[in-house]
Amino acid sequence: MSKLKLSGVSKAYGATLALRRGDLEVLAGEVHVLMGSNGSGKSTLCKIIAGSVRPDAGRILIDNRPVTITGPRSARAQGIGIFYQELSLAAHRSVEENICLAALPIKSHLFVDRALLKQRAARYIRLFEEVAGEGFSADALVGNLRPDQRQLVEIMKALASEAPILIFDEPTSALDRAQVDCFFEVLRDLTWQDRGIIFISHRMDEIKAIGDRVTIIRDGETITTLNLAETDAASVIRLMVGGSGDMPASQSSAPAIVEGKDGAAITVRNLSGRGFRNVSFEVAKGEILGFGGLHGQGQSALLRAIFGAGSISSGDVLIGDSRFDASSPRDAIRRGCAYVSGDRGREGVISGRPIIENVTPIHYLRDRLMIARPSKLRDKVVPALQSMHTKFQSLFDPINSLSGGNQQKVIIARWLVDRPDVLLLDDPTKGIDLSAKADLFALIRQLAAEGLGILLYSSEDAELLGNANRILVFNGGSVSRELTGADRTRYNLYQAAYEAA
Amino acid sequence: MSRILFFMRQPLVVAFVLIALLLYLGQTLSPGFASGGQVLRLLIVASLLGIVAAGQNVVILGGREGIDLSVGGVVSLSAIIAGNVMNGADSGIVPAILACLAAGAFFGLLNGLGVTLLRIPPLVMTLGMLGVLQGLLVVIRMGIPSGRAAPGLSGFVTQPLAAGIPGIIWLWIMIGVLMAFMLHRTVFGHRIYAIGSNEHAAYMAGVPVRLMRIALFMTSGMFAAIAGLCLLGYAGSSFANVGEQYTLASIIAVVFGGTSLAGGKGGYTGTMAGAILLVILQSILTTVNIDESGRQMVFGATLLLLMMFYGRGRAMRA
Repeated sequence: MSKLKLSGVSKAYGATLALRRGDLEVLAGEVHVLMGSNGSGKSTLCKIIAGSVRPDAGRILIDNRPVTITGPRSARAQGIGIFYQELSLAAHRSVEENICLAALPIKSHLFVDRALLKQRAARYIRLFEEVAGEGFSADALVGNLRPDQRQLVEIMKALASEAPILIFDEPTSALDRAQVDCFFEVLRDLTWQDRGIIFISHRMDEIKAIGDRVTIIRDGETITTLNLAETDAASVIRLMVGGSGDMPASQSSAPAIVEGKDGAAITVRNLSGRGFRNVSFEVAKGEILGFGGLHGQGQSALLRAIFGAGSISSGDVLIGDSRFDASSPRDAIRRGCAYVSGDRGREGVISGRPIIENVTPIHYLRDRLMIARPSKLRDKVVPALQSMHTKFQSLFDPINSLSGGNQQKVIIARWLVDRPDVLLLDDPTKGIDLSAKADLFALIRQLAAEGLGILLYSSEDAELLGNANRILVFNGGSVSRELTGADRTRYNLYQAAYEAA
Repeated sequence: MSRILFFMRQPLVVAFVLIALLLYLGQTLSPGFASGGQVLRLLIVASLLGIVAAGQNVVILGGREGIDLSVGGVVSLSAIIAGNVMNGADSGIVPAILACLAAGAFFGLLNGLGVTLLRIPPLVMTLGMLGVLQGLLVVIRMGIPSGRAAPGLSGFVTQPLAAGIPGIIWLWIMIGVLMAFMLHRTVFGHRIYAIGSNEHAAYMAGVPVRLMRIALFMTSGMFAAIAGLCLLGYAGSSFANVGEQYTLASIIAVVFGGTSLAGGKGGYTGTMAGAILLVILQSILTTVNIDESGRQMVFGATLLLLMMFYGRGRAMRA
């Protein structure tokens, strides 16, 4: 029996089509896995079901009845419950209050019925009693819990909605083995009650363990729905990648390491910190090392930590032959380190200020300048902007008057006035147009050819495959695989990313 | 380029038109209001306010809800320190200047440390500091008589120095030029705008954000101290809450001058016009016999009115 059915659902944000044609059918009593790479439209589809995004077209049926979901409250009313990742807990309230937050039991039309609340919450706490660990109790404050315990509270909260359709978006990311097993037992119980469950995870072993069927989404379209018992991990990944997945990245597209300039630009040994652990690698001068894998597997955290904007608990970083542990970005910049973030608005652009002032901060620091003479600065700034083919009218126009791609070029140009030794690129092309991307990568290759060591994290696999000499695939904060030479294929990249951590 | 200049100039043009209008209004209400001597006297008072507002200006430009409510307390403290150090003798002027600057820098440093290291919001930190200063002033005044200004200082503030214009107005003009140079032609100035516009981006571009913020509060303390010293020269002797009114007035002058309370936008030239405007307004209110409490009400209402207009402007741009 069909519990939830979506057909031909689409959603566009401006000119970008986030979801072209989403089809999904969840049966009563099954765990339905949703798979797709970053930006495939999977999360848009989930948001449509949960009511936080309204579709442009398509039909939604619940129990074979057409419905319109107008918002999160309406989704709840129609029997859809969702697990959010870490977002919906009130840190200063107790575990039991958080579990019942969405529907607090009321007495006399006004007061919270504490007894009923305790009783209701206890039902869900009991399910995880054995695995919740030390310090977990009904009246513990959520803010004092460990990350895995908070995730359990999120799960309990989703369960407490008692919704016939439940969506779990990466519910196991912080859980240990025993907790996952316990959670899966609970899920199986739910399926016996004929509920429909949508399950999103990036761990292939979990998907095989709990899933009944899988729907694969690629480039905004539902590709197919398979029975998990009749398929294997390799074919699922092949379907996610698409036709050309087995082809190695073309050799001509990656620059050769410049001979005669060898010697390491940056060396990282057994580096651990918040979000990553035990990472080691060496980047030669002139080499581009790619960081691949799913979002948030430690790539950004590592780059930021090297740049002095994150935390390092142990391990060494060497630039050239000398030890380097930057305590702040200021320190890192002085030592010849450069960092470009994909989050322009927050980390790059000094909004409302002229273009020239967005280029000069690094120059001020590295040249220890006190006085800013526009005529002298112009001679330094203009060539840097031109090497990026930046389009601008006047250096004194506010940076906000430029397009996103041109703003990012200005941010990159600030590192070109005084050349760094190491360039850290943290998903630098996020949200910029194709021609700006092309300019950017042409420049990155040129910089590599001039002897810079470059670390490139990109959420777009094509960028990694097309530009990096080697790719380290991150999974759960550590490097799970290194791809070199002919191994640099989309298929291998996906497989390494989706393997169990 | 010319468009931007046009927009930047616009608030200034408006300010000067308003100044002319207010002078005309004053002249009609009380003939002689806009006479040369009277205008000079207004400018002396405006320069006292303008010097305090210079410090207020940089703190506000630095963003993250930057504001210095302690300036009034520092002005009073500085006037009392100066009075007691010089006690009517010209030989005490230099020690008095040094003592005042040190006191201003010290309390600015405390503000800066509280805001950066303890992460106390500037509004709370500097309000608390104002309370501390007010208490301190009462303690200091017990036992020690309030001192008198040295004749040299009074002369500098009230008597013509060059071209018939008193020294304090020259000092203010000099501060105006230096502020313009600092904000637009020095790395320090560019960094003020950078942290005021996007603190995190500035940090990632190697700007020492904490040090900058501490420096801004110290600058504010020192400007308030200079103003306190000059205020002593203007009034002749000092009393405990002599600087009280400067807290609110300096904020109004900065906002009047087109500096955004959100930080990162504005400059000092507008603030100077704002200070003049405010002093003329105050003078007119005195002329028509509105007492101190009434003037404070008008000032408060002016600030709220300004915020309404600026708030709307920002919403329209967003």
